[in-house]
Amino acid sequence: MLFYIAATKRGISGEVFIVHSNDVDRKRGLRMSDKEMLYQQRLKRYTTALRKGKPDCVPIRPFVAEFTAKYAGMTCQEVSYDYRKAFEAALKCAADFDWDAVAASMVYVWTGLTHAVGLKYYGVPGIDVPADTGFQYREPPEDNAFMRADEYEQLIADPTGFLFNVWLPRVSGDVCAVGQPATFRNNLSFLKGGMAMMSYFHAFGPQIERLRRESGTVSAISGILKAPFDILADKLRGYMGLAMDLHERPKEVQRACQALMPHLLHIALSSADPARQVPIGFWMHRGCVPFISHDQFNTLYWPTLKPIIEELWRHGHQTMFYAEGRWLAHLDAFLELPEQSIVFHADQDDVFAVHKKIGHKFCISGGIPNYLLAYESPQAVRDFCKRVIDEVAVDGGYICDASAIMQNEVSIENIRAMTDFVRDYGQY
Amino acid sequence: MDESKQPTPKPGVCIPWDEKKRELPPIQGDDAQFQQVWEDVDAMAHTYIWHLLVSF
Repeated sequence: MLFYIAATKRGISGEVFIVHSNDVDRKRGLRMSDKEMLYQQRLKRYTTALRKGKPDCVPIRPFVAEFTAKYAGMTCQEVSYDYRKAFEAALKCAADFDWDAVAASMVYVWTGLTHAVGLKYYGVPGIDVPADTGFQYREPPEDNAFMRADEYEQLIADPTGFLFNVWLPRVSGDVCAVGQPATFRNNLSFLKGGMAMMSYFHAFGPQIERLRRESGTVSAISGILKAPFDILADKLRGYMGLAMDLHERPKEVQRACQALMPHLLHIALSSADPARQVPIGFWMHRGCVPFISHDQFNTLYWPTLKPIIEELWRHGHQTMFYAEGRWLAHLDAFLELPEQSIVFHADQDDVFAVHKKIGHKFCISGGIPNYLLAYESPQAVRDFCKRVIDEVAVDGGYICDASAIMQNEVSIENIRAMTDFVRDYGQY
Repeated sequence: MDESKQPTPKPGVCIPWDEKKRELPPIQGDDAQFQQVWEDVDAMAHTYIWHLLVSF
């Protein structure tokens, strides 16, 4: 995202924090602070593993979302509606746990912005759901999707125009449809939405700088990608609508995915880490079986995604496949990609099976089941982590994390158990 | 202007400079600067709508 550009320029790839000190080499007059040394150590550890190498120990990079609110004594409403609180909660966790890398804020949807724009598809904590429940995404009704089945040609002809003129008036309660009289709320939606987005994105730079300076923690990812197919399913036709289209108008679906490709590539490239150290986050939703068939994956999902990943790699950017759900059936396809070009994050897949299948080619992350971290004992967490270290991390190329983004059901005691055990037992 | 006859804008573009330029009187000054700044600001609008779609 744009904020990651600013972030990485000011953080990872930008200035190195050198402090003047009286008790150091006076010839040079400079030395790195302890936090900066820790940061450099962690950055090396993390990036070595990302490239399938064997660092000094297993890197820990937990994607903690609403867990940060729980740990910092805040509600889900507080961290989702005020990104400054989300940032503070993330900083507190980074300072208190020995983690190598984190997302600058994993409560990624600032509902203050979505309110300003008037977006209708979020369930906002404290309004639509209880204040201590994470924000929710509302699937559009099948008969009232944000894009109609007969609008494919319009989308294909001009995707950006379609988004402004057709999609936005449908997903926003404030934006007027083209041809309708403009209203005060319509005008404010663009003004407030644009300024809020700029404010939010630009806040990531200082946040990443604070992570580095205050706790020596690396910002784990930079930029965003979603598959053309998932964009159609999530935000345009809805999953049910798209499932029907796959049978009734597969060629139009394919051409729509192709039309989205250059724009999604552009967004990914323009938000990627200019230093090419950390991967682009690629969030995988419903492109796997059984949501679609093997044939649909092979003829539609993969051919409109693979060229994007290859192009990102040509630009020197790794992509983190955050493989939500089960993707074991498609690992052969992912093996077609260049070595080290992706990091595969195992969610509900068996991380041991994933390692056997693609561990020779790509770094693997995740695989520690969220149910263990939420509901089982610390010893059960330690036992599972031991097995992952012994079988998956043994030769490097593994980054410790839960299976899925951690919300507030995850136990603080278990997170501590995972962190302490992996740090202790995960030494190479 | 008949917007239906406009070519599809490329990624990063909402209103191409060539289209905007046609609306202006003949440029007497530095054409390249006008184009650069127009495109930089125009790209923000592309960022806005595509991030609404992808990130939010």
